[in-house]
Order: sequence, then C-alpha cells, then structure tokens
Amino acid sequence: MRFIAKFATTALLGALLAAGAQAQDVVKIGQIEAQTGPNAIYGWMPSQGVPMAIDEINKAGGFKVGDKTYKLELVSLDTRGDPKEATIQLKRLLEQDNARFVYGPFLSNVFVTVLPYAKQFNGKFLLMGGATRMHDFVGTPEHDFVIRTWNWDAGPNGFGERMVDYLIKTAGPKKIAMLFQNDQGGKVLGEIYEPIFKARGIETVTEYFEPGTKDFTPVLAKLAAFKADYLFPGYADAPLYDIVRQATEGNFIRKFFLVRGSLGPGMKNKDGIEDYVVYVPKHFEEAEKTSPKVKQFVEAYKAFYKRDFPYDQAPLCSSSCYDHVHMLVAAMQKAGTVEDVGKVRAALLSFTHSGVWTIKYDQRGEQIFDFDIAHLKKGGAIQITRVEP
Amino acid sequence: MTQVILGQFLNGIIVGTLYGIIALGVTLTFGITGIVNFALGQFMMIGAYAAWHFTDITHLPYPVSVVLAVLVAGLAGFLSDRALFQFTRNNLVNGLLVSIGLISVIESGALLLYTATPKNMDFVLSGSWTVGAITISRMKVVTFGVLLAVIGLTWLALANTWLGRATRAYAQNPEAAMLMGVRTEMLQVGVSVYSCALAGMGGALYAGLYSLEPSMGALFILKGVEAAILAGVGNLAGALVGGIILGVTESIGSLFLPTAFRDAYGLVFLVAILLFRPSGLFGSQK
Repeated sequence: MRFIAKFATTALLGALLAAGAQAQDVVKIGQIEAQTGPNAIYGWMPSQGVPMAIDEINKAGGFKVGDKTYKLELVSLDTRGDPKEATIQLKRLLEQDNARFVYGPFLSNVFVTVLPYAKQFNGKFLLMGGATRMHDFVGTPEHDFVIRTWNWDAGPNGFGERMVDYLIKTAGPKKIAMLFQNDQGGKVLGEIYEPIFKARGIETVTEYFEPGTKDFTPVLAKLAAFKADYLFPGYADAPLYDIVRQATEGNFIRKFFLVRGSLGPGMKNKDGIEDYVVYVPKHFEEAEKTSPKVKQFVEAYKAFYKRDFPYDQAPLCSSSCYDHVHMLVAAMQKAGTVEDVGKVRAALLSFTHSGVWTIKYDQRGEQIFDFDIAHLKKGGAIQITRVEP
Repeated sequence: MTQVILGQFLNGIIVGTLYGIIALGVTLTFGITGIVNFALGQFMMIGAYAAWHFTDITHLPYPVSVVLAVLVAGLAGFLSDRALFQFTRNNLVNGLLVSIGLISVIESGALLLYTATPKNMDFVLSGSWTVGAITISRMKVVTFGVLLAVIGLTWLALANTWLGRATRAYAQNPEAAMLMGVRTEMLQVGVSVYSCALAGMGGALYAGLYSLEPSMGALFILKGVEAAILAGVGNLAGALVGGIILGVTESIGSLFLPTAFRDAYGLVFLVAILLFRPSGLFGSQK
C-alpha cells in the first residue's frame, strides 16, 4: 500500500513537472481575423495559412532558440469583422493566454477600435496585421507593437502608385469614379487615392455607400453622369459582386479598377465587363507553374486541409499568414529570445524572407513584397504582370 | 437627367415591391393575429438561402427552387406558429418579444449552416432591357412582375373568396366572425403561415438579384414595417403602395443627396407623413 502511494505520488509529481516544463517550451501565437462575415475575404485565408505553418514547424520538432526547443501554439479567434468582438478577443489573448505575438487585424475599423486597449501593452507584444489604418501608427512613438503586414498603397514602394501607373500606361483614363464603403477602410482609400490620381492629372469623384447596401443602382446612376472611364470600387468582395453585376447590367460602366478585392467579381461577370484591372498579391494559377515554393505551398494546403486549393482566396495569404509565421520563428532565432519582443521586432525588420512571397519590412515596420497585376478582359482572358518593388 | 430620374423611379418601384411583400405579411399578421411578427425578415432570409441551396447546390431549375423555397419558408412559419406564436395571440408585447427572440435563433441557424460569408447565386437571368436611355435588369423586371402578381392575387382572394371575406370579417370583429362559423384558430394559423410563405417568396426572388447574408432579414423587416406604417397598418393594398413609395424615396433621394444616408431618406419621409396623417397614408383617420 505504501509502495503504491509512493509510486502514485512520484508519477503525479513527474507529470506536473513535465507539464510545467512543456508550458515553458511553448510560444503562444494569437490571431484575430474576420474568418467569417461580409469581410471574410480579409481574414479567412490567414486563418488557413497560419495553422499550416505552425503544424509544419511543430511536426519538424519545433524550433531552437539558444539551448531550448520550442513549439508553437495557436489561439485563433474569429472576429466576424466586429470591432467589439475583436477587442474582447484581444483582451483574452493578452491577459489570459499571455500571447506575445498576435496576427491581425486586416480590417481598419477593427484596428482603430482595439488600438486604445492594445496601446497599454506596448513593449509587451507585437500586433502584426494588414489593416490599412495601421500605416498611420507603424513606427510612431508608443506604437512599437504595431507591425503592418501588407504593402502600403502610396510612397516609393507603394503598390497603389504602381497600379495607377499601370492603368495610365494601358488605358490612359482621364476620369475615375470611386465608390467606397462608408467606414474606416473606405475613408482611408479615398484619402490615399484622390491625391494619387490628382497628381497624375486624372479627375475623380468619390461616393460612399452604407455597409450592407445591396442595391447600388442609384449611386451607379449618379456616378455614370460623371462619365468616368473606370469605376474604382472597394473594398471587399461581398459588395463588389453586387456592384460589378449592377454596373454592367445597368449599362452604367463596364471598366473597373481595384486595389482591394479579387478577380472573382470580374470573372462572374466576365461577359458584361470590358476591362477589369485588379491588384492580386499573387496569381497562384500562374505562379504554381513557375515557383517551386508556391507549388509546395499549394500541395501542402491540399494535404493539410484535404480539400481543393482556394485559388481565389489565396492571394490574401500575403498578410499575417503562412510566410509570416516562418519569419517570426526566424526572427526569434536571430534575436536569441522568444520573450523580448523588442529584440524580436528588431530582428524581424532586419532580413528578407524568401518564401511563397519575398517579404521584408521597411525601417518603420511596414511590409514590402512582390505582387501581380491581373488584367481581365471581356470573355475571361487574363494577363498577369509581375511587380517587384 | 430626366431619363436618369425616370430610370431610378422605375428602379425604386421594383425594389419597393420587395419591401411591399414584407409589408403585406406584416399587415396580414397584425390584422388577424394581433401581433407584429418582426421575424418575417428571417423567413425572407430562409426563402433566400433555400432558393440558393436548391439552385446552386442541388442544381434544380430556378422556378422549382422558388416554389420549394416558399414551401420551406411556409413550413418554418407553421412550426414557429405552433411552437411559439399561438401562445401570443393578440398580445402585442409578448408577440414582439417572441419574434425578436426568433430572429436570433434563425439567424444563428443560418450562420451555423452557411457561415456569414455572402453567397452569390449563379445568374438565373442575366442582362437587361433598354428603352431609350433607360436600362433595367431583366431579373428585376421578372421579380417585379411575379411579386405584383402574387400581391394582386392575394388582394383578389381577400376581396372575392369566402376565405378572404372570412379573414376580413375576423379582422373587423373576431367574436362576430366566430359566431358566424369562421374557424378562427385555423384562420390565424393560415394567415401566419401565408405571411411567412410570402416573405419566403420575396427572399427566393431576392436571391436571384443580390448576394445573401444571414443578416439580410434585419434590413427588410425594417423596410417592411416602415412601409406598413406609411400605408397604415391594416391596409392591404396600401402595403404594396407603401413599399413602392419607400423604394422610390430611397432611389431618388440617393440621386440628389449623399448615398451613404440612403436608408434615412425613407425614414424622414415616413416621419413627415405621420406628422400630418398619424394613421398612415391610407389608414382610417378616426
């Protein structure tokens, strides 16, 4: 009896010690993205790519920093694009789960809502998201925690400027009508692109629509009176499908220029459009044929999820996704720490990662990466132009 | 500019019939069961998703999908009535609370089945018709025609059939109708189910025009109630007119004023009308 009690106590103590040691060897990663909802285009793919990368790293035995081997643990939460929900989730990640590295958000309205809370944890964690509004805070005092994991539209490396230059070169438009959602994301797009077009001598008009709008006919009729060469709608596929369909069916406008959204709305209306120029972080159908790393990623996705590869959604894995987990691990190894976020941040900004994308960060902490311009013509013919900033 | 205004006037009429079908359901339900069923928007959503599912997933012809969607919405309405609304007859507050609770349940069910990511039905009838400088989507015209026919047939049935007369009799005086042999409980169930089926039809046609989301019902019940109040709750023909007036107000308002506040234009118009005619445009003034 005494022997059994001693054995049980030893076994229990051993298990507790092992669990404790296990807990020390785990790096928790949080994720707050809109995995479902009207803006799920911006959160679903990251929620697919991050688990894949984590599984790969863990299956390879984890990663070494110093003498210790670590594994990654993901706490992925679906914000559904609701800023209030996202704030509660971030609070859980930081206060309960003690996550030091959080991916997301991709939505600007979510970012501006979580920002006041997140700021209290400056220096204690990194918030790595693609939200356009993050640009205003990345690299500024008391915002060291902000890392923006997407290209910025404007400036010398700005993909938006390159897109506009491409449009001028191929189509020479004189007038652009812009139609954005009346929220943070839409407003910031107006602020970015009005000056870009104006600097190039292109006349613009901007209208905003209420989130949840389905019938765009009145505003399209209003914009049609401007006789624009192109309609520049944004920014999520949910309204874009309705906008492109109604614009072509109503004969309001048949040429589209997009820097947010996908080829999907254009392809669905391919017989009604005349021109559809869209920023596509990567056209996977083409890239799969030429890049071994892209091909490997596609195969890995199919094996991991046991379903077809989502070619239409995959371009959004350019933000806070598969490559970024590998970059974070490399940064922790280079910094020699998993706890000192300041050192990890500095390491992250110091190298170029060559994965599915070629990614680096500028000195402020904003991502720069290669991308494609997809030019869809009536009938469905697609021409891809690669751009390497 | 005249043709632009005319085009948006026509668009407003068409969009307004979608509001009108919900308003008709609101008016019928209120007139017979004494409650405002705020969950009618969710029955519209059920019809929309059912039509999408039958068309895009099970690949049935769209007209068949619409009929099935109406039956699904009607069945859902019957189950809701038996399980919930039969206990709230003529109790406005209880009926309101139950219908609001049902909204959450149905919307959560749709989220679980289909997630919140919008669905886009494959085009049933693409393209448009052009008359002069006015272009209107073919699917919108067909939707308008079908809804107008259904609303018209409903009105004719109420005016010319025994069941219709019984329904109107009950709305005027429930006790007298009962004494005259009208089976009131069956009538209430029938009207409740019919209202949900009407909403389901609206949803099935909506699916052929716009993308679907589980939250779509909220907007349309709001519009339906606005239209019913604008016309005067209880006025059946007025429900359609109320919906059309709302649709036109929004379309024309968006042409001249910021589009971002489109939903507000109908509300402002409603408030303005109620200030002068508190019982609505066609409601009784006593």
